[in-house]
Amino acid sequence: MQSDSERFMNKMREQSAGAGETKAAELFVHSGHAMGTLFTIYLYAHEQELAEVAFEAAFQEIERIEEALSNYRASSELSRINRLAARQEVTTDPEVFSLIVASLEFSRRSGGAFDATVGPLMRAWGFFNGEGRYPTEGELHHARENVGWEKVQLDVAARTVHFSAAGIELDLGAIGKGYAVDRVVQVLREAGAAAALVDAGSSTIYAMDPPPGKNGWTVRIPNPADRSQMVTTVTLQNVSLSTSGTTEKFFELEGRRYSHVMDPRRGRPVHGVLQTTLVAADATTSDALSNAIFVMGPEAGKKLLATVPDSWGLWILGEPGAQRLVEWNWQHTAGDATSEQYVAAPQKERLNEGT
Amino acid sequence: MNRREFIGRTAGAVGGALLIGDSGEVWPKAKAPSDQINLGIVGVGSRGQQLMRTFLRVPGVRFAGLCDVYEPRFAAGRSITKENTPIYRDYQQLLAARDLDAVIVSTPLSLHSQHMVAVLESGRHLYGEKCLGLTVEDCYRIVDAVKRSGKHFQVGLQYHYAPWFSETLRHIQAGKIGRVTEIYAYWHRNNSWKRPVPAGADQKLERLINWRLYKEYSGGLVAELGSHHINFANEVFGSAPESVLGSGGIDFWKDGRETNDNVRVIYRYPQGTTLVFSAITTNQIDGAQVRVYGTNGTAVLTEADATLYYEPKRPQSAVSEGTVLEHGITTSASFRAELPYRGPGEPVPIPEDRKGNADFVACNSFIESLRKNQRPEADEQTALADGLAVALGNQAIDQGKRILFSEHMRSKGA
Repeated sequence: MQSDSERFMNKMREQSAGAGETKAAELFVHSGHAMGTLFTIYLYAHEQELAEVAFEAAFQEIERIEEALSNYRASSELSRINRLAARQEVTTDPEVFSLIVASLEFSRRSGGAFDATVGPLMRAWGFFNGEGRYPTEGELHHARENVGWEKVQLDVAARTVHFSAAGIELDLGAIGKGYAVDRVVQVLREAGAAAALVDAGSSTIYAMDPPPGKNGWTVRIPNPADRSQMVTTVTLQNVSLSTSGTTEKFFELEGRRYSHVMDPRRGRPVHGVLQTTLVAADATTSDALSNAIFVMGPEAGKKLLATVPDSWGLWILGEPGAQRLVEWNWQHTAGDATSEQYVAAPQKERLNEGT
Repeated sequence: MNRREFIGRTAGAVGGALLIGDSGEVWPKAKAPSDQINLGIVGVGSRGQQLMRTFLRVPGVRFAGLCDVYEPRFAAGRSITKENTPIYRDYQQLLAARDLDAVIVSTPLSLHSQHMVAVLESGRHLYGEKCLGLTVEDCYRIVDAVKRSGKHFQVGLQYHYAPWFSETLRHIQAGKIGRVTEIYAYWHRNNSWKRPVPAGADQKLERLINWRLYKEYSGGLVAELGSHHINFANEVFGSAPESVLGSGGIDFWKDGRETNDNVRVIYRYPQGTTLVFSAITTNQIDGAQVRVYGTNGTAVLTEADATLYYEPKRPQSAVSEGTVLEHGITTSASFRAELPYRGPGEPVPIPEDRKGNADFVACNSFIESLRKNQRPEADEQTALADGLAVALGNQAIDQGKRILFSEHMRSKGA
């Protein structure tokens, strides 16, 4: 007679031997709040129990990364670095250190458009408490003194971090969610899950193997002016997609609308960009660079993307109601009616600048 | 090489696949400072990996050897060190390496005594994961080995070092919540406690990965979760318990596991105080928390913070008998509903220079103990009081009877 344990193991063996041919894989979904957003995992599995074990392992991993990278938890490794690094060189572990290195590397490659030290500027412009305000010259000067990726100094051999200005603080939010998505993908693969999609707040996703019988996961990119309409639809597998944009949050200044995305180089919010979307091989890259190309705009952004293998990007520029769409290497799905609809709208102009 | 040169060299690595996980020349070997501590680790599972990450946040720490019996753990361990750290499939081979200062043992509980005694007999300091041992005999065997070796031993009860736990203990000892009579501790979750197993894994591997679920290896929920809370109760009450009652069963997750999916143990302490620990796997509303009940207030500790609540003020003076007679007594069925308190509490403040992560403070403290040649705070005696309570708590559940500690503990000085 089989024990419960033997029955469980037999079930797993059957599944790995292709028992799924008789029982179709079902889609399981699990969501949880972490890192200031809602993570959702869509996963095809033959047994609910196997899906639940994979979900549990995935959310444990997200929690582990949040405990390392959160700026809101005093116990996080990043909070420890931020508390101490202006006073001393702080040793950190290779994982956190390499994320800081990656963050600075994205800063260098984007000419400072991506900058994990931007926090004081966000505060000065009132973006942390929601509304936005014009800072005084003094406030702006003070904030800019405490912003700048070059002020984060690393000693690779000793694995230490040091800040050369007292007010510097690292916020890895614009890269950490992507990193968490990449880690979850690895954990799911180790747990035997293949057909899955990992979504961090709909701003960064990773599409793993496609759903059974499909050639990819269908991802719709909404129109930033009217999120019930789609700009385009793409079919993805084993790539990541990130979208940056703050269409719900605008800041009116001298008759111009500014986004809540900061241009760290100029010390002021970005104007004239509504949304960027980027597809790249991994979510750490797509998360960081969707933000960078938002700040850089299409001209400089396309030069950056040309250095990122297998990447494709989309900018929506202008004002709500008068958008322009700029593509780079964008791979449309056949019969992409929503895209045509969008482009055909009378007041909109399409600049297809793809290579 | 300065930072700019370094970043220039890593440009390719970051753009494509993650830098994290890349091996090779990007990570030059750290120069060996004179006070570098070389660590080995036996057991590179999920807890072992977290300890590795945390120890690598302490300046001058390097891993010189990884030991496990499950091949994929070597790649996982090396992805943490970002070095080609030497690997060993046999712990005796690891211990034969010459460049180890201390060893972490984070293996299944039933293997602790074998691995920990061997580490100590090899002349290395030891960071031993909790609990101390699976049985009472295992616990004493390790304590004896610590004594014989003269080496430093720290038990992996990281909440012993959590700043919010030690700050709360200070408040309790200063009398801030009055006389503490009871502690109710919960570790309630709503999941199977099962780890993913690779497709096609055989039963042996499943038992190895999910060792917490099998009695051959594990003390179950009391050991893996309750030990943290038992240790804190021992600190609050200033002694080990003197008896324990328990109950538990495998009542929901009937999947072949051998350790209970729900347990509760009631420990009595010498001063007439009590710890109730409960762990369930079917509801998580209470999460993991310790509620310390005092006559003037309550301290509630979670995995992240601590909060104090105060009892309503007691009447300062009694009403004289004459007043009662004069006004008469109404004997209607009026009563005051004893609703639970739902208001805010007072967060336990943590001084800026003491803020930190429990694991980091524990690991940093162990390395400091080695460098300063000081006895760790959570030493073998702390571990023994905790480990015995876990082992006897499980006996109480299994045997369905009250267990007296005096019948199982060595007398002092023995």
